[in-house]
Amino acid sequence: MSTTIRRYVQAVVDQAGIEAQREGATTIEAQHLLLAIATEPEANTQQALSAAGLDYEGIRTALQREFEQSLGVAGVSLATSDMTTRPGAGHARPTKLGASAKLALERGLGKRRGESRPLHLLLGILQAEKGTVPRALETAGINQSELTMRVIEQLTVHDD
Amino acid sequence: MSVEVQHSEDPGAALAAVTALRRLADQLEDSAVERAMRSGWSWPQVAEALGVTRQAVHKKHAKRLVAAGVALRRR
Repeated sequence: MSTTIRRYVQAVVDQAGIEAQREGATTIEAQHLLLAIATEPEANTQQALSAAGLDYEGIRTALQREFEQSLGVAGVSLATSDMTTRPGAGHARPTKLGASAKLALERGLGKRRGESRPLHLLLGILQAEKGTVPRALETAGINQSELTMRVIEQLTVHDD
Repeated sequence: MSVEVQHSEDPGAALAAVTALRRLADQLEDSAVERAMRSGWSWPQVAEALGVTRQAVHKKHAKRLVAAGVALRRR
């Protein structure tokens, strides 16, 4: 892995830790990596996300909606909950990667040694078939397959 | 808060509900432990109420509560 991509991945994982802390999570998951990618000023990943109409706030909104919808399946509504929750308040910032984040990194960067690029990390997240990220994208009306194909095309253009 | 699991054709929706409930339970635990400690509960009382050891509850919440300015009773 080149120094540039290593620095990028480290910056994304660091920011993802902040996102996980904000949520009160004990591990960094794929959705935190996606939020972190949306905050990193890297031209190709920003282009891929914005072409799909996604930005940091849009992803956060989609994740929150997915959370509330999933609670709704169990008949639980945050609006009717009388408990005051302050997610993440005072919790230490997580540094450990959870299962979904590990999978995303393996899928995106695992087999490519030297030639990995930031888009590969985004691709690794988007290639998840199940879980919070696919469900949140669906909630936001984003076609995950199209977005994934667009990222692959972007990578192919850069390879030429 | 009532919990009534809806029957969904989609197993993904049911699994996502489990994930969301775990996350909500963690948030509720944080809030409830903080309220109890601010009300003067001891670690053993909170641990007993949660059905865990006092070491477990102390390890999970002590730093956070100190950071939040909660005056903690001795263990």
